[in-house]
Amino acid sequence: MLEVKDIHKKFGDHEILKGVSLNVEKGDIIVILGPSGSGKTTLLRSINFLERAEKGTIDFKGIHTEFRSAGKKQIHEIRQHTGFVFQNYNLYANKTALENVTEGLTVARRVPKEEAIRRGKEALDKVGLSDRYDFYPSQLSGGQQQRVGIARAIVTNPDVILFDEPTSALDPELVGEVLNVMKTLAKEGATMIVVTHEMSFAQSVASRVVFMDQGVVVEEGSPHQMFSAPKDPRTMQFLKRVLREDFDYNI
Amino acid sequence: MKLNTQFMGQTLIHALAGVPVTLEITIVTLLISVPLAFLMALARIKGRGIGNRIISVYVSMIRSTPVVLQILFLYSLIPTLLNYLLNQVWHLDINIFRVNPIVYAFVVFSLNTTAILSEVFRSALLTVGKGQMEAALCAGLTSWQAYIRIVIPQALVSALPNLCNTSINLLKSTSLAFMMTVKDIMAITKVDAAFGYNYIEAYLVVFVIYIVLCTVVQLLFTFIEKNLSGYKKLVAG
Repeated sequence: MLEVKDIHKKFGDHEILKGVSLNVEKGDIIVILGPSGSGKTTLLRSINFLERAEKGTIDFKGIHTEFRSAGKKQIHEIRQHTGFVFQNYNLYANKTALENVTEGLTVARRVPKEEAIRRGKEALDKVGLSDRYDFYPSQLSGGQQQRVGIARAIVTNPDVILFDEPTSALDPELVGEVLNVMKTLAKEGATMIVVTHEMSFAQSVASRVVFMDQGVVVEEGSPHQMFSAPKDPRTMQFLKRVLREDFDYNI
Repeated sequence: MKLNTQFMGQTLIHALAGVPVTLEITIVTLLISVPLAFLMALARIKGRGIGNRIISVYVSMIRSTPVVLQILFLYSLIPTLLNYLLNQVWHLDINIFRVNPIVYAFVVFSLNTTAILSEVFRSALLTVGKGQMEAALCAGLTSWQAYIRIVIPQALVSALPNLCNTSINLLKSTSLAFMMTVKDIMAITKVDAAFGYNYIEAYLVVFVIYIVLCTVVQLLFTFIEKNLSGYKKLVAG
């Protein structure tokens, strides 16, 4: 359903992505792991053109284009069918929770106001914020803000939702509420690409785990395969480091 | 030393007749400058190129010269230039020297205020994090929709304190309009004062009028700011 091939992206002289390909089928929950600086976030941001990759192609919703030459219309079309959840939420500061969610419906998709409000409330109910419709972002906790962020991403019924380290900015005790929402979405059959450091989420929810390091995909496979029998030494080393404390595994 | 209170009373009444002129210059200037300055700020943030170069040279020139000089220069330059163009080049036979001097005041103060406000708006637009724009783009908004609905409303709120500053500065500098023979508060009192050499009394009157006017403007901005920045308030709960 979504296929990106051979993405290359440089920031100045520093090559962040050195030819990454990713194929996503409907219903896939793809978790991208890797040390910081490995290009995970850049990959995600390149998919919906928050960064412009220099090389590579994307296939999505009948659009087939080079990243470099994609036009305004194609980019707009791709964004209309994806949802994006940011590490630091990025809720519109001047809009209430409900307005944050409905903005993409009323303004970007011309959905009538009543219907947008109904769907917006549904989305907020789903993430457990039925009592926070009229709160401004500054009046919400980090976990609540991120759940509004998720509601905003799902309200448009996107074909795929991109999560960019959705729990990294949260206090540890608030991580659970966000992960639970994501698990529910996964169970309902949403297609998701998740960049995260939450190993337990990768293990229990992912349909496929992709391990990246230094701008390339080192290894990918089912969570079971990746966590219990990683093949590449870099994967092993990474897992050993992050799982040292809370997970027993056999190689 | 004894103040001539009778003179002060008379002058106050005379000077109050100048208040509408002062306000007119201020308001007309703001109406011209605010939209122009905003467009300039947007242009400077969004793009590069020759247009931006011109804007930044203009802003720099205005900032580097005293208002008094701008007034004297333009007040001598524009009529002469227009007279030459209209009557010598195009032979339209229009008496440019009979134009109401307040028009020159509009031009000079607008040129000045637009330059200053464009920097005010530019810095205000830059205070809105780029994540706001990215989030809006991801939600499917176009970049113009994102600017109009998300970025600009937030930028305006952070621009308000500086907008208030600029408006007050403008209101005060309109007192220089007397140099262009505009009969504002300052001009009227100066004429009154010269008659009986009551300068101290006259300036006291002007002093009070400007304090009252500026206080009203400040209160107005405080009120607007309170109303527009509701979303910033952190409420427990």
